[in-house]
Amino acid sequence: MGLQLSYLYAHAGLLRRWRRALPQLAALSLLTFFVRAHGYAQTADPEKPIPILSGTAGFLTSVTAGQTLLDTQINPVLLLPLGNRWLVESRGEFEGKFQRPPGGGPFGGPVDKHLDYLQVDYIANPYVTITAGRFLTPFGIFNERLYPEWIRALQPDPLILPIATASSDGAMLRGGFAVNAQANLNYAAYVSVTSIGVNGVESERHVGGRLGFFFPHPRLEIGASWQKVLQDDRKNAVGFHVAWQPPALPLSVHSEFVRSNQGSGYWIEGAYRLSQAHFWQKAMRHTEVVARSQQFFNGNITSDTAQSLGLPGANTREADFGVNYFVKDGFKAVSSYGRQFSSAGNFNQWTVGIVYRFLVPLGREGTP
Amino acid sequence: MRRIPILLFALVLVLTAFARSANKKEATAVSPVVHATDADTMRAQGEQRFRANCGRCHAAPQKFPPRAMATVVRHMRVRATITEEDMRLVLFYMTQ
Repeated sequence: MGLQLSYLYAHAGLLRRWRRALPQLAALSLLTFFVRAHGYAQTADPEKPIPILSGTAGFLTSVTAGQTLLDTQINPVLLLPLGNRWLVESRGEFEGKFQRPPGGGPFGGPVDKHLDYLQVDYIANPYVTITAGRFLTPFGIFNERLYPEWIRALQPDPLILPIATASSDGAMLRGGFAVNAQANLNYAAYVSVTSIGVNGVESERHVGGRLGFFFPHPRLEIGASWQKVLQDDRKNAVGFHVAWQPPALPLSVHSEFVRSNQGSGYWIEGAYRLSQAHFWQKAMRHTEVVARSQQFFNGNITSDTAQSLGLPGANTREADFGVNYFVKDGFKAVSSYGRQFSSAGNFNQWTVGIVYRFLVPLGREGTP
Repeated sequence: MRRIPILLFALVLVLTAFARSANKKEATAVSPVVHATDADTMRAQGEQRFRANCGRCHAAPQKFPPRAMATVVRHMRVRATITEEDMRLVLFYMTQ
């Protein structure tokens, strides 16, 4: 018995020492990895990059349940490359939402200002990029890749977008590389110490990551995301995403599924460019039709809390259809119709507008 | 919180293994894509990579000045986690 106790005690001591040593081991491994990475051939960009100011400007008019809303947005993106491996990038969001007061009168409303991200990226080697600052949380694909107005096929946000996608403040490792000739792997792992909530200043600590596999030949990407809040009830959120562009068709399919204590749901969207139509070809090749189906299921939070986060207050289904016309590069006219069904009431949502993506070089444009 | 260093450690180990195996491959085999000198081949490869990677989210933009395009491609490498090889070929295609 005494022997067993002394063995257990010694074993527990070993475990404690191992746990204490783990952070140092991780730091040492990181250091070794980056020092080794410097030894690799880190080729410079063929063209020396210059700072640019880019972004999106949009003017949308929507009618939701009979209420007209004028939505004016400008989202400037500043990109500042430094040397061969560094990039400072930032995006601000200025959004004016104007509507008539209930009793009638002129349009008016608040102008919101957000700093979506302000991050420093260091491309350490072909496998790792280190990011620090405020960054878009890599949960699913919509928040990071499809959010800009000139990219998204339908202007209304998916119902589940507010879940686990508030900007993160902290550090992140990310990268993408070929696993073999058939598949690329992409990943992101992050720690956030504070976060700006959807509805104001809310502080929290969370960790998370995303892992995806992209198969270039069928142009299919599948992946999963995870986030854990490191305080209070330490809840988890998990998500899955799919993106598919069949090579034979001008079709783009995206989908996300998420499950969390705030709620669960999915959306699936298909956008089809009418470039293969045999009539009115000049106009049709600039036209895109879109359809999205989505559903949201209440989580373990109250209806008021859900609404304060930007989520529906009740179980909701929604179908949206849209037509976009690409006037020229970066400039498109958008329109959509959606109908929402929920126990809180059914309503229609119409949206029309124009969006424009701009890009202004802030340096000499010629080759070096 | 205790699991974070473990996860970080595992991630670093996996990436180091990949980096080592890739380094060995570089020493023994030459990738026909990266070292292709034929501009037409690289352009065709670049267009293919562009459609596969960039086309996942948006339509083809116009071609910007080369140095501006280099910035955009670096930004997209981070944002869309494009591989280094894809980035080089896309940049070549977009600046020709």
